[in-house]
Amino acid sequence: MSENNHTDGLFTIELTGRIDSGNAAEVETDILSRLNGQNVKAIVLDASALDYISSAGLRVILRLKKTWKDLTIENVNPDIYETLEMTGFTEMMTVKKAYRVVSVEGCEVIGEGFNGKVYRIDKDNVVKTYKNADALAEIQHEREVARLALILGVPTAISYDVVRVGDSYGSVFELLNAKSFSKLLAKEPDRYEFCVREYVQMLRKIHSITVPQGKLPSVKEKVLKQVTRTAEQLPKELGEKLVSLVRAVPESDHMIHGDYHTKNIVLCGDEVLLIDMDTLSVGHPIFELFRMYNAFVGYSEYDPEIVLNFQGYPAETARRFWHDSLSAYLGTTDEARIKDVEDKVRCVSYGNLIDWITRHPTGDEAKDEATRALWKSELVELLGRLDSLEFDLPGEEAFDPDRLELDALSENLDRVLDFVNERLEGADCPPKTQMQINIAIEEIFVNIAHYAYAPGTGRMSLTVKLSGDPLEATFIFVDRGKPYDPLKKEDPDITLSAEERQIGGLGIFMTKKIMDRMDYAYRDGQNILTLVKKL
Amino acid sequence: MTIEKTKNGTELCLSIAGRLDTTTAPELEKELKDSLEGVTSLILDMGKLEYISSAGLRVLLSAQKIMNRQGEMKLRNVNETVAEIFEVTGFTDILTIE
Repeated sequence: MSENNHTDGLFTIELTGRIDSGNAAEVETDILSRLNGQNVKAIVLDASALDYISSAGLRVILRLKKTWKDLTIENVNPDIYETLEMTGFTEMMTVKKAYRVVSVEGCEVIGEGFNGKVYRIDKDNVVKTYKNADALAEIQHEREVARLALILGVPTAISYDVVRVGDSYGSVFELLNAKSFSKLLAKEPDRYEFCVREYVQMLRKIHSITVPQGKLPSVKEKVLKQVTRTAEQLPKELGEKLVSLVRAVPESDHMIHGDYHTKNIVLCGDEVLLIDMDTLSVGHPIFELFRMYNAFVGYSEYDPEIVLNFQGYPAETARRFWHDSLSAYLGTTDEARIKDVEDKVRCVSYGNLIDWITRHPTGDEAKDEATRALWKSELVELLGRLDSLEFDLPGEEAFDPDRLELDALSENLDRVLDFVNERLEGADCPPKTQMQINIAIEEIFVNIAHYAYAPGTGRMSLTVKLSGDPLEATFIFVDRGKPYDPLKKEDPDITLSAEERQIGGLGIFMTKKIMDRMDYAYRDGQNILTLVKKL
Repeated sequence: MTIEKTKNGTELCLSIAGRLDTTTAPELEKELKDSLEGVTSLILDMGKLEYISSAGLRVLLSAQKIMNRQGEMKLRNVNETVAEIFEVTGFTDILTIE
């Protein structure tokens, strides 16, 4: 039994071993002698090492409570908690249960971030540990924002228990067979396309959510502080330019994850979940994109090994994943446009990275200096030619998961069919109907690819909607090519002999035969073709 | 799509499996162009063909036109869904389906 920490009149007294009629009087005298003559305002009884307490011991606590109203018992093991509950102590005073102790020794590390590690403790559960001494507050914060995100529609995991791990705390999550996207990209390269698609879909989902005011902090202020510190390391004029460019980025009440890299998105069975929610905030998407750029490219620009060590896949994969995700996020394959946005994103990235390495030196001074010099030169080059960080955000319709936008090129046929089939399979469409629909989709898509923008090329979109009872599938093709109404095309004469028949004209005809309904409209410079098929 | 080729004198048999669509039809077209010379009997085994779009139909039509001049062309083992496409497009009347 000991006491410590008397700052502010708060006394913590450790109760140890057994307290029963044999030693209760002795324990009481000991406690009182320690408190005697002190300015005691509150008492915490730490029961973590207490094995047993009898009614004689409980009476000691009652007498303490009479003198000092503010008395708390902490770290109470389950057996003693039961005793305290039965005797009504839990209603008379604050009694806190002991945290379950979890050992992570020998457990597989499935994730590691700046603030701690994630271990798999058994088949279904993982524990996230925190390096920070103030872990409990952090855990509490993360639980709150995760709950908010879940309510607002983000698929995420919420911790169900807080446990002791060594000297710190951890939060426990149920994650059945979870595999991070980093692991998928490193070990299952054939799932690359899947990862890009799901990664971008989740990102769009997050960014489409409007957060009620005051629920989450704004990320812009934090970034402004970082770039302001970086500005001091730049020539005065460029430093001022950096700060004013960031300041000019509009505020937004849309959700930002804040640390959106592939370790923080996991596949659980066939469900994709977002984890690590402690950086959740609101802001313009550029503040999300720059962190993504850092994770995939920025941190490892000087030393490519960094991304391999952190994500588990090589720098080339990381760069390709960043590029393809940005392309899909913006809904464009126009390299000039992607580059334009990337440059603006990099401007914020270096503004953040230079501050970061200044405040977190690795110990290898020469390497840090070389890394910083590289980032600075890139930033100076960008600041020399950028006048704004604004770029066109993908429109609301781009966030529609049932809409696919791509270049009207026949090489993209498989992407279009995969997109359609995924949705049909989800609706239990009979195989024969699915095949017929495939034919119709192919015919229309290839027609647009060949003729709409000929001899050039352009964009088109396909929206798939399933609705009604009995279920109907609606397919809407939109392009900005030459006005063309396929319904006006004359049907081929199918009674002619092989010699007389023309090669061509069959596609539209088959589509008309297969579909239950077809409508065409030309509006706002767009060909809009709608196909409907009963499932 | 995969194409298996068996040649017996002037008789050529092609077994076509998988999807015959915009992407794969040019392969079949090339195969026919390269191997029809001197062939008097062309047999297309469609037992493993799962899918055909107009791009595939066009290749079949031009093969039929060539074979009308130099012999005959027959389709074997056409499954129900493919047969339906032939029906809708009037191909049942211009192809010989066994």
